[in-house]
Amino acid sequence: MKKNGVNMIKISAKNVDVFYGKKQALFNINLDIEENQVTALIGPSGCGKSTFLRCLNRMNDVIDICKVQGEIVINDFNINDKGCDVVRLREKIGMVFQKPNPFPKTLYENISYGPSIHGMAQSKQEMDEIVEISLKKAALWEEVKDRLHEPGTGLSGGQQQRLCIARAISVQPEVILMDEPCSALDPIATAQIEELIDELKKEHTIIIVTHSMAQAARVSQRTGFFHLGELIEHGLTDKIFKNPDNTKTQDYITGRFG
Amino acid sequence: MSEAPHTVKSYEEELKNLNSNIVKMGGFCEEALVKATQAIISRNSDNAETVIKNDEKIDKFETLVEQQVVNLIALRQPMAIDLRETVTALKISSDLERIGDLAKNISKRTLLLNENLPKNLIDALVRVSSNVQKQLKSILDAYLDRSSAMAVNVWEGDEYIDDLTNLCMQEVIKYLKENEKNLDDGTHLLFVTKNIERIGDHTTNIAEQIYYLVTGEYLEGDRPKGTEPVVTGEK
Ligand SMILES: Nc1ncnc2c1ncn2[C@@H]1O[C@H](COP(=O)(O)OP(=O)(O)OP(=O)(O)O)[C@@H](O)[C@H]1O
Ligand SMILES: [Mg+2]
Repeated sequence: MKKNGVNMIKISAKNVDVFYGKKQALFNINLDIEENQVTALIGPSGCGKSTFLRCLNRMNDVIDICKVQGEIVINDFNINDKGCDVVRLREKIGMVFQKPNPFPKTLYENISYGPSIHGMAQSKQEMDEIVEISLKKAALWEEVKDRLHEPGTGLSGGQQQRLCIARAISVQPEVILMDEPCSALDPIATAQIEELIDELKKEHTIIIVTHSMAQAARVSQRTGFFHLGELIEHGLTDKIFKNPDNTKTQDYITGRFG
Repeated sequence: MSEAPHTVKSYEEELKNLNSNIVKMGGFCEEALVKATQAIISRNSDNAETVIKNDEKIDKFETLVEQQVVNLIALRQPMAIDLRETVTALKISSDLERIGDLAKNISKRTLLLNENLPKNLIDALVRVSSNVQKQLKSILDAYLDRSSAMAVNVWEGDEYIDDLTNLCMQEVIKYLKENEKNLDDGTHLLFVTKNIERIGDHTTNIAEQIYYLVTGEYLEGDRPKGTEPVVTGEK
């Protein structure tokens, strides 16, 4: 949504520090994520992109030694507060991983699982609709509509990844986090996912981690560059790729690193 | 270019190579203008012919640069400073190619001029040309040094070139009006003057490109303009 031509802030990370045991992985991250925009997170391996992404739906909770400090404000609510309902949070903040990870169940069940645990459908018919709409939005419906009751693992890699995206959007999340969603895909499947991302941003806020500079440039409106656990520079994608302010950013995106 | 080299050495080489082709091409253009001017002063047809012949070299460089740019874009997908290097190289090479053409045109006309032209005309012409030469030299230095300040200097200097051009035009028009026999030479001289001024304009274009290359921003504001051009026809 826009107010006076300016995008609303959907997520605001404030002074976020993350530690794995004694080792600090993120240092004082401050980043505003705009609503209905695609934000790309880039940076060399190990710089903390995935760690940051996991802060946004408290996925770091499942890592014992991981400690997160600072605030992550989503819809004016700090999700690091004790009172945060993590199950509700993950319903609102969906995630798609690097490797497609469908459940070892049918296509239909892969998608209906989320909506059913969240009690989103009152009848079989309603559930059918959710499954169909989700698959359509993920641009997979036409390819699989006749085999909904076959196992999801029987799809190709690109189809599996779109299935995972369909699964993520089935619960109508406000935000979708994607951690290198195309790294295992061919250029055509990649293009389909990128087209999908473009489409999804009308209704969702998207944050994508990618190692492909070209992909970041293609799909995102905003880009953040991480290096050694710090957010070095963030801003309009256009600016970052044509004329970044920071030399480290420039060295990274032009392939002059290390 | 950035301080740090690219991790992929061949990419680094390709960008350096592109850069050095622009510098070489610029050198040929400088030489063309110097020789074309000398040909006017000393009525040396060898010089004029060299300029005409060497224009082919400049054209070849333009094609070469164009191919290199297309390859870089297709195969390396340059970003940020590298993208600006690549795109500005293409634009600068097309301005340099035009400069080469204009110098050739000047030389072709010089070959047709009569031996004894009034000294004041030659002086006025040489004054424009030597100032354009200075501009061209500065802009090639600005490219080598990646200096936006030098580029701005050249850009602003174009106003003076326009003024000198107008003064020269007035001299030529006076000469034209003096005697009907002056018609052929006078017309050639008008074109020669105009062509030298156009070389100055292309130099200014290059200044804009260098400014963008270095800063990532466009030179703002109107282009510098000298006095209004003289009206040639009588009303
Ligand atoms: N579960 C963990 N236990 C301990 N250290 C971890 C854990 N996960 C990540 N780290 C460390 O935190 C730092 C950031 O890792 P992270 O996975 O966020 O990087 P990344 O930017 O996503 O890298 P990549 O591009 O390779 O996926 C690294 O130094 C990593 O070794
Ligand atoms: Mg990662």
